[in-house]
Formats: sequence, structure tokens, C-alpha cells
Amino acid sequence: MSWRPTPLNLSLITLLGWALLLGVLSGRAELIVAAAPLLVALAAGRRARPAAGDWRLARSVSRDRLVEGERVTVTVTLQAFGPSQLVELYQPLPAHVRLARGHHHAFTAAGEGREIRWTFELHCAGRQRLRLGDLHLRRWEPLGLAAAEAVHREISEVSVYPHVTPIRRPPSPARTQTYVGHHVSPAQGEGIEPGDIRPFVPGDQVRHVNWRATLRLGALHVTQHHRERSADVVLLLDTLADVGPAGDSAVDRAVRGAASLAAAYLARKDRVGLIEYGGILRQVRPAAGRAHWERLLDTLARASVVFTYVARDLERIPPRVLPPQALVIALSPLIDGRFLGAAADLAARGFDLVVVAVSPIAAARTLVGGGAVTDLAARLWALERRAELDRLRGRGLTIIDWDGVEPLEAALAVWQRRPRRRVRA
Amino acid sequence: MALLAGVGPALCPWPGVIALGIAASVVGGAGTLARIVPLATAGGALALIAYALALALEQPAGHPLTGAALGAGLVLLLALVHFAARTRGAAVDPRLARLLLRHWLPVLALGVMVAAALVVGGTLVALGLRGVALPMVMAIATLGAVAAAAGVIALVTSPGRPAP
Repeated sequence: MSWRPTPLNLSLITLLGWALLLGVLSGRAELIVAAAPLLVALAAGRRARPAAGDWRLARSVSRDRLVEGERVTVTVTLQAFGPSQLVELYQPLPAHVRLARGHHHAFTAAGEGREIRWTFELHCAGRQRLRLGDLHLRRWEPLGLAAAEAVHREISEVSVYPHVTPIRRPPSPARTQTYVGHHVSPAQGEGIEPGDIRPFVPGDQVRHVNWRATLRLGALHVTQHHRERSADVVLLLDTLADVGPAGDSAVDRAVRGAASLAAAYLARKDRVGLIEYGGILRQVRPAAGRAHWERLLDTLARASVVFTYVARDLERIPPRVLPPQALVIALSPLIDGRFLGAAADLAARGFDLVVVAVSPIAAARTLVGGGAVTDLAARLWALERRAELDRLRGRGLTIIDWDGVEPLEAALAVWQRRPRRRVRA
Repeated sequence: MALLAGVGPALCPWPGVIALGIAASVVGGAGTLARIVPLATAGGALALIAYALALALEQPAGHPLTGAALGAGLVLLLALVHFAARTRGAAVDPRLARLLLRHWLPVLALGVMVAAALVVGGTLVALGLRGVALPMVMAIATLGAVAAAAGVIALVTSPGRPAP
């Protein structure tokens, strides 16, 4: 930490020069006298540079995991054992984070072993892996004529997870797995959901006898039951292109939808996987449980658009990540045609595919503002988009239109009222 | 800033001096309000020019106290504007006021004392140089001023010593 002169020296020297020059030109001693305090200040600034002494600087965050929209409190503790001196502290803020309370830049008097605590609150508008970087410390000579800088190297990470809205009835899978779960399987066996009635055969349990049918038909009949099985669900997130303001873009909305769906399926004991389809192909293989939920959230928090010309081939994804029996739910703003191609390819390969089309129009409108021309453009875009969705439905794709603003469950409810396909084992 | 700019016009209410004083007030005031140190410096320089012009026109009896006060005021003004510029948008600990006063007041007092010593020393030198030709006096004064300026520049621009 070495002392460096500040531009204030130049200002004082300028005035000193003027005073001396004018004094010489006018021949008046008052101007030379006026130069004396300026000269003394310059000399004092050279001398009054306190020694650094022993420093202790630490930074802590109140939480390391939070949901978007929540706040995190940052506390900086400074203890200096040298003489009392003017200290400036500065914490650079990462993008998409704003100050909710306090200041991230502070001036204080530190020294003589006194502990100083400085706190401020950050508001994290959008999901991200928030990294608070180095803390900058600057010691000032009291008049401001010299400064010594130091950097406190410390990284604090906070995971800002997407907001999750509860979904009571997520799309049902067409095929189930062999594990016990909450989905009614067409296969007959042990379960609580009644199925067909058939004549009694030796080996049937008496508690399965359907007495009403037996009395009506005059022979013993039993009620068969459907098995309850779990399902594999793979969320396919499109991060090829994005539109909208940071923290509330179309991809951000799709991520919120993906997190809500993942929470709903995991609560039903299903295994949930994730594929981020974009410039970087990130994959999380299907699994269940609390730890897996956090793994999914971590991946969703990092999901971002990385520009690429390459169209990724989903055939290269191993079956353990994209099981053939899985229900694939694709969430996309449908801006980039490459994603549509990949989704259509999946459907052609026999995957049970549901496309949640997250509308980018509302996100784009928040970015460009209002106006007659904007309204007209938005209406035209909405018409074009509706025609595109109808064309995709005509090709046999299951499309759920979601504007990203209303709860996803409302969009799913509209779709679920339609007759559902027969579930195959 | 208005006080510093008003010293010259108060001494000699000549239109040119008044105009310079107003210019100093406007420029320096803008620098003070906007917390721009170079503007405040320009205002200070204009105030010095107005004061020098007033002294040259009015030729009053010696006012060393006014000169010392003007110099101390300029130091205080620049230090305040610089501090305000640095702390813009930052949280400032109230304890800082005591720390700054503890450092600034001795510097200003020392400046006034040095000015007083300069006056006394100057008077003695003037007595010593009585009868010497004017060009010689001017040359000695210029040499002294240049030596002082060079000393200050050397003091400020020498490599900073690392803090222990």
C-alpha cells in the first residue's frame, strides 16, 4: 500500500503559482502572504500520512441462498489498530443487483483498535449466481492530498433461485416407470384406483370381490386395480435466444416455469431431469429428492443465453439423461427455429413431448415501453405467433401457450380440459 | 466562495474588479455546488486575480491579514470541495467531522502563522534591502518565488514512500 498524490495537489499548486506570479507582477506582499497557507497545506499533506498499522477486514452475507426478489444483507467489519485515519470502503456491485438499503460506498474514521461495522442490503431482481468480488479500501491523508489503496480479496457467493409457483396438476405423463408413484398406470395390479371387473379365478383375494357385480351376474367377480407408478420428466429449456429486460426476460419466465414444474413433479415422487438447450448444453439426469431439487435450482439459476451458430443434436444426449419413456416438457419462447427443429425431432422419435410456448411479447413490451406503433407491432407479433402455434399443432405437436405473466397452472388447466390420450404402459 | 471572491471588489469597487469578482463567484460557486474541483480552482484563481487587480489599482496600505485569510480560505474551499466530490453517493460516518477538524484546523493555523512569519521576515528583508536598486529587488523576489514553487513541485511529485 503506497501513498499516491491526488489531483488536489495540482489545484493547490495552480493557486500557489497564481498567487506568487500575481504577487511578483503587482509587487504586493499580500499575494505572497496568501500563498503561505497553500504552501503549508501542500507540505502538511506530504507529512500527514499515517502508517498502515494492523488491519482486519472481513465481509459476510446474511444468506447464501435466496429466491429472486428477496434481499441479502452484506456486513463489512473493519478493525484498524494504527492511528485514527480517514478510510474509504467500496464494494463494486455485480450486474442485475441493486442497492435496497444503505450504501456500497462508505467513508469512515478507523483506527485505535475500534471495530467498525458497515451494512447494506442488496435486492436481487433476477435469478443468478451472485458473486460479490473484491472489496476496495483506500486510506486518505486528511486533507485529501494523498491516498493509499488496497484490495481485500474475498469472494462471497449467493445463489438466487427462480421464483416457484405451486402447480397442483402438472401435465400427466403418457408412460410411467416401474417405481411406485402417484400416476395411475393402465397396468393392472396392486393399487387403489379401481379398473375393470372380471370373473373370479383361484388365487384372487376375497377383499377384491365385487359383491354388487357378483349378485347381479350370479357368479363371483373381482375388481381389478390400476397400479400407481412414478414417471420420468425431462425439462428441456430453450436458451438459444432471449428477449426482455434482465431479470424478467422470456428465458427468465421460462426458467420460473421450469422450476415450478420441477417442484410439482418432485412432490409427486417423480424423477425430474433438465436439459439446457443453448450455446452450452447443460444436462441434469433425472432423479428425485431434496438434494436433486437443489441441483436443479442451481442449474436453473445459471441458465443463460450463450450465442452460437451450432444447432445441437439431442440424439447425442445419453439415454440416462433423456430416457425413452420420459415425458419431455419443452419451455421455449420459440424465437430460434433451431429449438423448434429439435423439439419436432424429439416428437418424431416417439418421445411424449409437451411444448410450453412462453410468450416473448410481454417481456419485449416491458423493454420498449408503450405507444401506438408499439401496440400495433405487438398485435401483429401476437397474430404471427398464434398462426405459428396453430401450424405446430397441425404438425402434431402438443403446444401450451403461456404468456409468462399469469400462473403457469392457469395455462396448463386450459390444456388439461381437452381429452387426454390413453395412457400406455 | 462568494466571500473569497468579494475580497477584491470590497477593496476596490472598480467595474473591472467587480466583474472579475462576479466571474469568480459564478465559476467557483458552480464548482462548489457541483463538487467539481477544477472549477473551484478556476474560481479561486479568478478571486486571486481580482484581489491582485484591486491591490494594484487601489494601492492601499499593507493588509497581510487579508492575504493570509484569503490563502487559508482557498485551502479550506478546495479541501471541502474535494472531500464533497469524493463522498458523493457514499455513506459518511459522523465521526469523520471530528477527525477532519482535528487535522484541518492545525494546518490552517500553521498556514496563518507562516504567513505572519513571512510578513515579519519580509519587513526585515525590506529594511535590509532599503536603498538597493528596484530591478535587483525584483530579481531576488522572482528567484525566491521560483525556488519556492520548484521546492513545492519537487515535494509533491517525488515518489511516494510505502507505508510501513
